[in-house]
Amino acid sequence: MIVSIGLNPQRGRWGRGRGFAKRLMDMGLTPGTEVTVVKSAPFRGPVEILVRGSRLALGRGMAERILVEKTK
Amino acid sequence: MKVRKLTIALAGNANVGKSVIFNFLTGLHQHIGNWPGKTVEKAEGTLYFKGYLIDIVDLPGIYSLSTFSLEELISREYIAFEKPDVVINVVDASVLERNLFFTLQLMELEAPMILALNQVDIAAKKGVEIDHENLEKILGIPVVPTVAIKGIGVYGLLERAIEVVEQGGANPSRIEYGKEIEDEIGKLTELIVETGPRYPARWTAIKLLERDEEIEKEVRKKNPEILEKSKDLAREIEKVHGHSCSTVVTSERYETARCIVAQVQKIKPRVEMTITERIHELTTHRVLGYLSMAGVLLLMFGSIFMFGGLVSEYLSGFLYGLEPTVQMILGVGIVKELIWGGIIEGAIAGITVALPYIAPFYLALYFLEDSGYLSRIAFLMDAAMHKIGLHGKAFIPVMLSFGCNVPACLGCRIMETERERLLAIFVVTLVPCAAVTVVVLGLVGRFLGVQWALALYITDLAIVFMLGRIAFKALPGEPTGLIMEMHEYRIPHLRTVVSQTWFRLSEFIKMALPLIVISSLVIRLVEILGYWEPIVTFMYPITVGWLGLRSEMGIPLLFGILRKELTLIMLATLLGPNLATLTTSQMIVFALVVMLYIPCVATIAALVRETGWRKAALIAVFEVLFALLVGGAAFRVMSLLGVP
Repeated sequence: MIVSIGLNPQRGRWGRGRGFAKRLMDMGLTPGTEVTVVKSAPFRGPVEILVRGSRLALGRGMAERILVEKTK
Repeated sequence: MKVRKLTIALAGNANVGKSVIFNFLTGLHQHIGNWPGKTVEKAEGTLYFKGYLIDIVDLPGIYSLSTFSLEELISREYIAFEKPDVVINVVDASVLERNLFFTLQLMELEAPMILALNQVDIAAKKGVEIDHENLEKILGIPVVPTVAIKGIGVYGLLERAIEVVEQGGANPSRIEYGKEIEDEIGKLTELIVETGPRYPARWTAIKLLERDEEIEKEVRKKNPEILEKSKDLAREIEKVHGHSCSTVVTSERYETARCIVAQVQKIKPRVEMTITERIHELTTHRVLGYLSMAGVLLLMFGSIFMFGGLVSEYLSGFLYGLEPTVQMILGVGIVKELIWGGIIEGAIAGITVALPYIAPFYLALYFLEDSGYLSRIAFLMDAAMHKIGLHGKAFIPVMLSFGCNVPACLGCRIMETERERLLAIFVVTLVPCAAVTVVVLGLVGRFLGVQWALALYITDLAIVFMLGRIAFKALPGEPTGLIMEMHEYRIPHLRTVVSQTWFRLSEFIKMALPLIVISSLVIRLVEILGYWEPIVTFMYPITVGWLGLRSEMGIPLLFGILRKELTLIMLATLLGPNLATLTTSQMIVFALVVMLYIPCVATIAALVRETGWRKAALIAVFEVLFALLVGGAAFRVMSLLGVP
């Protein structure tokens, strides 16, 4: 489950990328949403996730700025 | 009977079948151009239906109506200011929740609209069933299930759209947010109504709470107090919810979409994977994915070059064969030289590139894009592209540019920000295209051996990579990451693919052909006036002094601006049997310069179109100087190493 977007305690606050936090939310990644991580591409490539019935690819840098909590 | 006019806009997420509906309705009566002053495509078409002359505008595929991208801004300005009679919102029935998020925003814009519930067949395969009648009741707007690629429901869609117009607009339900937010929206709306806003007042209020920069600017002009008030209200909401106000609004909108979907959607659980899911697994696999990608690309490039080579040869044979006929009409002399040698040969040069190579390229590209495969390639190549500050989507134009730089330049539009578009375009113009490959193989490969050609290629790619990296560090701004939907694989719609190819091709011809013809004419004029000698002398310090070439090798380099493969053809014509007597270092330096120097005129035309004159000139001049620098350096290194 997503806890927050644009904030990761280890990576710090999202600097100037405020527009991208909005973009992620527009794609359905709002706090409280369940996401399933399917797999990731090699060499620190993007992560494939399922959210709200759609399949998204997120660059590693993007994915690392999403704070999630394990459910199940 | 009097013909009544109607304007219908198509809006929706990317890859939901909007362009298929557009093509189905408008057929050949369409016009694709740019939005005034923007490098965003605008597709318009017309049709007659039930006594109406309907103008259909296909808006860009977007996920939201914020200001993340130019496309979103254009769409919302179009709907709010141009006021189309009806907006047809095309949604993907298999991903309803995310699509409805956009629908809700359109409803807030208060445009008369109807919903096309598209791809119900794909949804059914995924086990998703949607009660469209119930959806219609909840949203308060007509909902029509469609399967656009088979034409199912598309005319029904038009009928309902006309009904909406004749009844003076549908009556969409209002989306209610949580109580605190509704209170704030109410307060702001009252204030905004008095200022006579350009957008609907309630929508403006919501956007103010979301801290939309464009709307803030708009409101500041009218009444800065309202802006201050909205900031206070937004802060209060932030305090209560612990998230930014824009997060809260977006979350609530999605929550509404989720609730609606829960009421109208039934999902049958499936045990087995569908075939499209299996293909997805294979094509994104960490080993098999790359292997299949290599296979697909090799097959694509291989067949295009083979097909292109054959057709190009046949076409040139036929077209150049017309020379005696032309000569009969015009006689021998300066007039014939200019008309045939300048204008017609220039046109032939353009046509023999456009038809045999560029057309199949676009066809293959749109085919892969429509099927969903390009997004999987972007997924696999994202990590590699990040090394030069771009993300996975940029691999697509880069891949294209190995064929031809022109479609690749135009393909850079898929990048989201201005900065990335420019960076991608710069990299793309440096990649050796098919014509350059012909020169490298025909000169270096033939006389020095394939291992030299390969070494040259690797050196060149390393240089491109390095330049890309430097440009990435030098350009201001942060690199952006990949956020991309990978929609379900599907069979591409042939008519849509063909019409997209056709419009791209005609765009290429319109853009590049005049430039090719003019430069061909200039070159012929120089020849007739006998200016080659002074030019060769003028270039002597560069060609011989700096690059260590023979003095006459400057001419092919000038011709190469027209078309890169002309460098080899001209070199062979000028040197004749002496071609083989060129030294190793001369061949290598010549090929290296051809690989890197000025993009051909067609590419320059594309550059101008995409980036404007100033940046295009800057890129071209830089590349010429850089090629000379590298060529001179290579010459000196090789003489030091004792290469003949």
